Amino acid sequence: MNLFSRRDFLKLAGQGFLVASGFFGLGIFTRFLGYQAEPTPPIEFDLGLATDYPVGSRTNLPEIPAVLVRSETGFSALSLACTHLGCTLEQEDNIFSCPCHGSHFDEHGMVLRGPAKKGLVMLRVEQNDQGHVILYAAS
Amino acid sequence: MTNRFLLIASAILLTAIGLTWWLQSRQVQPVAITPSLTDQIEYCLTCHADLTEISPSHPVETYGCVLCHGGERLALDANLAHSSMRGGNNQSDLSVVEQSCGGSNCHSGESAEGQDHIQRVMTSIQSTYAGAIANVRYTYGAQTDLTPLFGSVAVNDTSLPSQTGILHLEAFAISSENNQFLQTFGENCLTCHLNSTGVEDSLSTRFTGCSACHSPAGESRAGEIHTLTTAMPYTQCNTCHNRGNYDLRTMTFVERSDEAVTRLESYYQPIGQFTQCEYSLDCVDCHTRTEAMGDGDIHANQKDIEYVQCKTCHGTLTELPLTMTLTDPEDIAFRLAQLNPLMDLQVGDTILVTEQGEPLWNTRLLPDGNYELIGKATKQLFIFRPVMGSACTQDGLEQSSAYCHECHAVEH
Repeated sequence: MNLFSRRDFLKLAGQGFLVASGFFGLGIFTRFLGYQAEPTPPIEFDLGLATDYPVGSRTNLPEIPAVLVRSETGFSALSLACTHLGCTLEQEDNIFSCPCHGSHFDEHGMVLRGPAKKGLVMLRVEQNDQGHVILYAAS
Repeated sequence: MTNRFLLIASAILLTAIGLTWWLQSRQVQPVAITPSLTDQIEYCLTCHADLTEISPSHPVETYGCVLCHGGERLALDANLAHSSMRGGNNQSDLSVVEQSCGGSNCHSGESAEGQDHIQRVMTSIQSTYAGAIANVRYTYGAQTDLTPLFGSVAVNDTSLPSQTGILHLEAFAISSENNQFLQTFGENCLTCHLNSTGVEDSLSTRFTGCSACHSPAGESRAGEIHTLTTAMPYTQCNTCHNRGNYDLRTMTFVERSDEAVTRLESYYQPIGQFTQCEYSLDCVDCHTRTEAMGDGDIHANQKDIEYVQCKTCHGTLTELPLTMTLTDPEDIAFRLAQLNPLMDLQVGDTILVTEQGEPLWNTRLLPDGNYELIGKATKQLFIFRPVMGSACTQDGLEQSSAYCHECHAVEH
C-alpha cells in the first residue's frame, strides 16, 4: 500500500511552493521598505580609548577629516574641511593649507590667508562610560 | 480552482523574482561618491573612474561631477545619466557657463576679489568679436563709424559704470545683412570667438567657452580632454591666433600652409619680426588675465585691452619696470601662484606689475637687480635685465614692439 500517494505529493509540493513564494514576497517587500538609495554618511565616530591619546597630542583623522587635540583641559577637534568650498586641508608644521584654492589656517583654525573667510569648525567630542572618545562630525 | 490560481500566481512571482535577481547580478555595481560640497551621492564614477582629475582646484571628492556637468546623478544607464548634462561634453560653453562654473564662491563672484571671471569673459573681445565685426561692417558701408553694434552673441554690460560707454551689443545675424560680402564674412570668418569651436578637423579645433583656453588639447587635438589649467601653452592660443589670414577679396579665411619645424616657425606665421622672448615664452607668461578675459567692459578693439609691452618687464632707459613688494598674504598674486605652483612666492618678494597694477606673479626681482621669470607652461627659468644701464639708446616715448624689433628681432 502506498502511504504517500501522487496526489499527496503534488498537494505538498503545491503548499511548499506557496509558502516559498510567501517568504520570498515578504523578503522583497521588507527590502523594498528598507531600501536606502542614499545611505547617510556616519556622523558619529568611536575613536577608541581616551588613554590612547596622550596629553599634548594632535591626531590626524583623515577619514572624517579632522584633527583631534588632547590638551590638559580635555579633548577638542577641528574639522579639516576648508570653510571656503570644503576641500580637505593638508597639514604642514602647524599650518593647515587648502590644496584647492590656497587658504591657510593656523593650529587653532583661525584664517591666515583667504579666500576662506571663516575659521575652521570645532567638532563636538565626548567620552562615553567605557572611556571611549566619541567624535561627532556634524553639529 | 482557487488553489490552481494561487499556484499560478506563485509561479509568476517566483519567476519574476528569479528574473530580477538574474538581471541585477548582470548589472555593474555602482561606484558611489558623496562630494562634500553637495552631500548628495552620485554614481558617475561607475563608468568614469579612470578619468583624470580635472584640476587640483576641483577635486572630485569635493565637487563630484554633477555640480559642474549636470546629469542624472543616480542613473546607471549612460543615456539617462547624460540626458540632462549641461553643454554636452563641454559644460563651460558660454550658454551654460553660469550654471556650471558660476556662483558667488566660484567664478561669478566679486570683481574686487578677482572672482568675476564669467561676467568679464562674456563681454570680452574674445567672446564678442565686436571689433572685427564693426570693422568689416564699416568697410562695406553697413555702419557709419567703427562703434561696435554687434557681437557674436547679444550681450549687456552689467558691470556698470562702463568705462567705454558701450552698454549693449546685438547678435550679429547673417540674415539681417544685405551686403553679400558681409553674409560671406558671417559664414566664413566667425570661427575665432569663444562661442565657436573653430574650423573642424584643423589645428584650430577646440572647445568653446572657458575650455577654449583652459583645456588644451595638446598635439593630437583628439580624444577625451578632461583638464583645466592656467598653464596654457602657446599652441592653445594659436587655435585662434597666428593661424592664417583673411582674404578680403573672397571674404574667406586662408589657413597658413607653411610646415613649422622650430618653435619660432610654429609660434608665428612668417610675416613679422619677433624677439627671442616673444617665442621662447608662452603668451600667458606676459599677457595677463585681464588682457585675455577682459575687464568687464565691452571694448571696440583688441588694442583697447592689450597693454603689456616690452617695457612692462624691461623698463626704459630712464625708468625701471613697475614692481610691487608683496606685503599682504591675501594678495591675489599668491592665489594665482597657488594655481600653478612654479615658484615659492613669499611675503617680502618684489615682483613685476603691469601699468594696470596686475601682478606678474611668475616673476621676481633678484638681489643683483636682474629679474627672473618662470615659464607658466614650460617651467623654464629665464633671467633678464632692465634696459636702464644697458647700451640701448631707444627713445623712452617710442616703446611699441616695432621699435624694439629694429635691434632685437631674432634675425639681428
